[in-house]
Amino acid sequence: MSVQVVAAKMAEVELKDVPTGKDLPAESPVTPTSEGKNIARNDPREAGSSAASPTAEPSSKPGEGSLGLLTPNPAKMPQASAMKRSDPQQNGGEAFINRDGTVAEAPRMKKIQFADQKQEFNKRPSKIGRRSLSRSISQSSTDSYSSAASYTDSSDDETSPRDKQQKNSKGNGDFCIKNIKQADFGRREIEIAEQEMPALMALRKRAQGEKPLAGAKVVGCTHITAQTAVLMETLSALGAQCRWAACNIYSTQNEVAAALAEGGFSVFAWKGESEDDFWWCIDRCVNVEGWQPNMILDDGGDLTHWIYKKYPNMFKKIKGIVEESVTGVHRLYQLSKAGKLCVPAMNVNDSVTKQKFDNLYCCRESILDGLKRTTDVMFGGKQVVVCGYGEVGKGCCAALKAMGSIVYVTEIDPICALQACMDGFRLVKLNEVMRQVDIVITCTGNKNVVVRENLDRMKNGCIVCNMGHSNTEIDVASLRTPELTWERVRSQVDHVIWPDGKRIVLLAEGRLLNLSCSTVPTFVLSITATTQALALIELYNAPEGRYKQDVYLLPKKMDEYVASLHLPTFDAHLTELTDEQAKYLGLNKNGPFKPNYYRY
Amino acid sequence: MSDPTGEAKLELKQASKEAKESENVAEKYSAMTVSKNSEMTMGELSSAFSAVPTHKPVKKQIQFVEDKQEFSRFPTKTGRRSLSRSISQSSTDSYSSAASYTDSSDDETSPRDKTQVNSKGGTDFCVKNIKQAEFGRREIEIAEQDMSALISLRKRAQSEKPLAGAKIVGCTHITAQTAVLIETLVALGAQCRWTACNIYSTQNEVAAALTETGVAVFAWKGESEDDFWWCIDRCVTTEGWQPNMILDDGGDLTHWMYKKYPNVFKKIRGIVEESVTGVHRLYQLSKAGKLCVPAMNVNDSVTKQKFDNLYCCRESILDGLKRTTDVMFGGKQVVVCGYGEVGKGCCAALKALGAIVYVTEIDPICALQACMDGFRVVKLNEVIRLVDIIITCTGNKNVVTRDQLDRMKNGSIVCNMGHSNTEIDVASLRTPELTWERVRSQVDHVIWPDGKRVILLAEGRLLNLSCSTVPTFVLSITATTQALALIELYNAPEGRYKQDVYLLPKKMDEYVASLHLATFDAHLTELSDEQAKYLGLNKNGPFKPNYYRY
Repeated sequence: MSVQVVAAKMAEVELKDVPTGKDLPAESPVTPTSEGKNIARNDPREAGSSAASPTAEPSSKPGEGSLGLLTPNPAKMPQASAMKRSDPQQNGGEAFINRDGTVAEAPRMKKIQFADQKQEFNKRPSKIGRRSLSRSISQSSTDSYSSAASYTDSSDDETSPRDKQQKNSKGNGDFCIKNIKQADFGRREIEIAEQEMPALMALRKRAQGEKPLAGAKVVGCTHITAQTAVLMETLSALGAQCRWAACNIYSTQNEVAAALAEGGFSVFAWKGESEDDFWWCIDRCVNVEGWQPNMILDDGGDLTHWIYKKYPNMFKKIKGIVEESVTGVHRLYQLSKAGKLCVPAMNVNDSVTKQKFDNLYCCRESILDGLKRTTDVMFGGKQVVVCGYGEVGKGCCAALKAMGSIVYVTEIDPICALQACMDGFRLVKLNEVMRQVDIVITCTGNKNVVVRENLDRMKNGCIVCNMGHSNTEIDVASLRTPELTWERVRSQVDHVIWPDGKRIVLLAEGRLLNLSCSTVPTFVLSITATTQALALIELYNAPEGRYKQDVYLLPKKMDEYVASLHLPTFDAHLTELTDEQAKYLGLNKNGPFKPNYYRY
Repeated sequence: MSDPTGEAKLELKQASKEAKESENVAEKYSAMTVSKNSEMTMGELSSAFSAVPTHKPVKKQIQFVEDKQEFSRFPTKTGRRSLSRSISQSSTDSYSSAASYTDSSDDETSPRDKTQVNSKGGTDFCVKNIKQAEFGRREIEIAEQDMSALISLRKRAQSEKPLAGAKIVGCTHITAQTAVLIETLVALGAQCRWTACNIYSTQNEVAAALTETGVAVFAWKGESEDDFWWCIDRCVTTEGWQPNMILDDGGDLTHWMYKKYPNVFKKIRGIVEESVTGVHRLYQLSKAGKLCVPAMNVNDSVTKQKFDNLYCCRESILDGLKRTTDVMFGGKQVVVCGYGEVGKGCCAALKALGAIVYVTEIDPICALQACMDGFRVVKLNEVIRLVDIIITCTGNKNVVTRDQLDRMKNGSIVCNMGHSNTEIDVASLRTPELTWERVRSQVDHVIWPDGKRVILLAEGRLLNLSCSTVPTFVLSITATTQALALIELYNAPEGRYKQDVYLLPKKMDEYVASLHLATFDAHLTELSDEQAKYLGLNKNGPFKPNYYRY
């Protein structure tokens, strides 16, 4: 993630596709074997079309590795605990899927038996399979799951939600979820999330009097989690009517969906939808008698795409689109370039606050968390090489330095390299330190940063992990050769053993450590949700003509407002400009305080 | 100068407060003079000031050292304001590393009246004393040690002579570092004529050394306003030589050429401007549609900005406080006003020494950054009674007022790292009931009637300019940026640059950084072809889109 963002940016829009494309093929050779994934994979691609999903942290290789070697049981428990979930069995499993699968889907594989095995099976296909449906690669967008698994989701009920008739306590049946009876559990989840999302709660209070979204009909397609629920209820409190679908077939927390349905929201989502279900849900969201959406809140661009294709007339009447994922934003830019975007859209992914939290701050914590959970390594005095000194790399380096590690950095960009020097890190080429380091962390957004040759030269016991982008940074495929033995020692932890007995500890099979092995704090999600809410308010209330048919960045002032709403969490007291000072600086007392190009 | 709040603001400020700003510069200069010789005695101090052509000459006596210092400083500010506007850190601060030690002004003849000849018989220059050339050469050689980027640029580009045919007229501070730049330009094939952008900052011996090598320099320390413009004019008008490039710091040279020699001006291929003020003037010109040549704003390049603000201030806050007060930082409670680049640098340095750091901010985004970096964000009033040190770096005015100063602890230190001298309301301390006691150069004790003392540094002017030095390495970044900007403008194909103000291209910015990596023995990784293709990047950069925040 983090880096993905950067990477995506670097690649510039068009290029993004390329990597993706490459990604897939690269993987396929490896993966294919296993199950029927090929099929699974194909579908989505056609359907979803384009893009990409850089997102996905596809696990490339899995086939053999996990499957074959796997000794699942031990693996699983830690998993569960990682999830902070008590009920290990299936949930552990499913949660697991989510996490790395985030992106995942394995529609046809969905069986319950062999929980452990199944986990592995599912995982694989999922990753590969679902890629096309969930493209969002913004950290916070993809990782909402972390904080809560669907513990009520004992799928003994095999009926598809589509075939069930359910009504909430008010007799309303305009929704489609797994089980309305789970609403109480979901409510509890939502209340927990509310505790850590003070910004949205404050927004409710501040804006409730004026109802800035009165008359807004918002159709949304995001992960459906407790945090999203807080967002939806906030929008509703601000006067909006909402209909919601999931942007990922696995990420839905069924009980939260139930709680929302009980609260009167038209939610169409459950955990483990099929691809067909996925589009059906979106369509049900949009296609209602007597209700036409005028705002879109999207994550990944699927909803936007659907409306654009299927309901062009409706699309034209939309007042604004808010898109939070890199992929979705990319699709919007393409549309705009082609001259086909007929409504204003807002890119909230690149807002300063969100970017800093998704990358710098989030990774600064999750690097330690992820390494500790998986390996229990002690950092003091360890020699660590961090590949890449962008936001993610800066975060990792800062955290490791604080723990007393000796940190080396590799970079390609001289400016970032100079920053690393000035921050007190030795800038090296990977080969120069390969033999001495204890931990290798990649966060470049690039591919094949750590190759077999490097891996061959590492010390015994060296830990290798990826914080950057998808699963391309470490050339894991090159480790799948007969002379190397893979041993799964825990969930997400593989020992790769050389013929001479040397072991390398590979985490998450080269997929993203921060998504696979650590959690994303609700606070980070709160930043994202608040940004989305403010973007909706801005677009909906903007005077005619402020926004044309183009893709906009969140106005600086809104960005600052997001930040200010989160300050009370730290008991931080913002200083106000006096009139005299404001005049001296030529600023408005209420912001924006910086020009657009300010670098923070 | 360490502008923590962003250029736009600055520009706005400038628009409305040009006078004020120039005042600051003059003030900085005077601060500088002092800082450079930290051991300077009061007597020397005053003599430094006495060189100043003030508008109140009457006051210029030596007795009452302390008093006089006060007096002469103010006139200075007022007097010189129009000549030195540059407020970029590195542009104004070249003085720090070397005083004109050969400058015993026993020779009172104006350089304009002297006829001097260098060893090759050339007379096309005007400096204080050509005989000081050897001293100057030594200074230049010292500077070269820390400016390896320019030296390597010389080597790398010497064979192709990218500036062959360039006739550069320059107006910057004339210091050893500038000399390294000028000699680099010459090595790259350019012909140079140079003048000073500040009437005080010239190192006479360096100017002498430059003339000795054949560069036409017109500058000496302590020019009058009339001298200043005379020097610029001499630079520009020579028989048989028309400049085709301008390297300016503050915009005076550009302005002069634009006004006096419009025909020459039109034929200029490019202007490189490094100061905030000069850039601001260029934008005004451009806005008015009167800019008929391409100009490059090197002030806002990423590398330069980071070094002028974040990295430079991170070091100078400690240096400045130590030199002036010998304070120990561990466990001290410090409040830093403003969390822009300068504030971030100060906080990082203080935290590293074990100080307890509070931050005040007006911008919620920066405030949130402070929170996430582990600093308590407070309002100044909430901690004013607790803190031992107050550091302002807001770019704002009256951030610390009399009211707050009244409530401070005995012995607390107040200083300014931000912008000019506006941040601390020093004027409010000049009341009869408070006693001022100068305990060292740049250190005043302000004593309340009840005996409480507050330690005010540099009288509220910039601590980093007054009480610490700017490392040559930082100046090297600036000089390299300027050199590359000149090369870029001079060699750009027809049509790449129109009649507008440009930022330094990202690729050049990256090149500046890469030239400085050798200092750290840093080994940059190169993209493989495959990786470059995957990322959609050129292997040689630029590596980031323009909006990347670093």
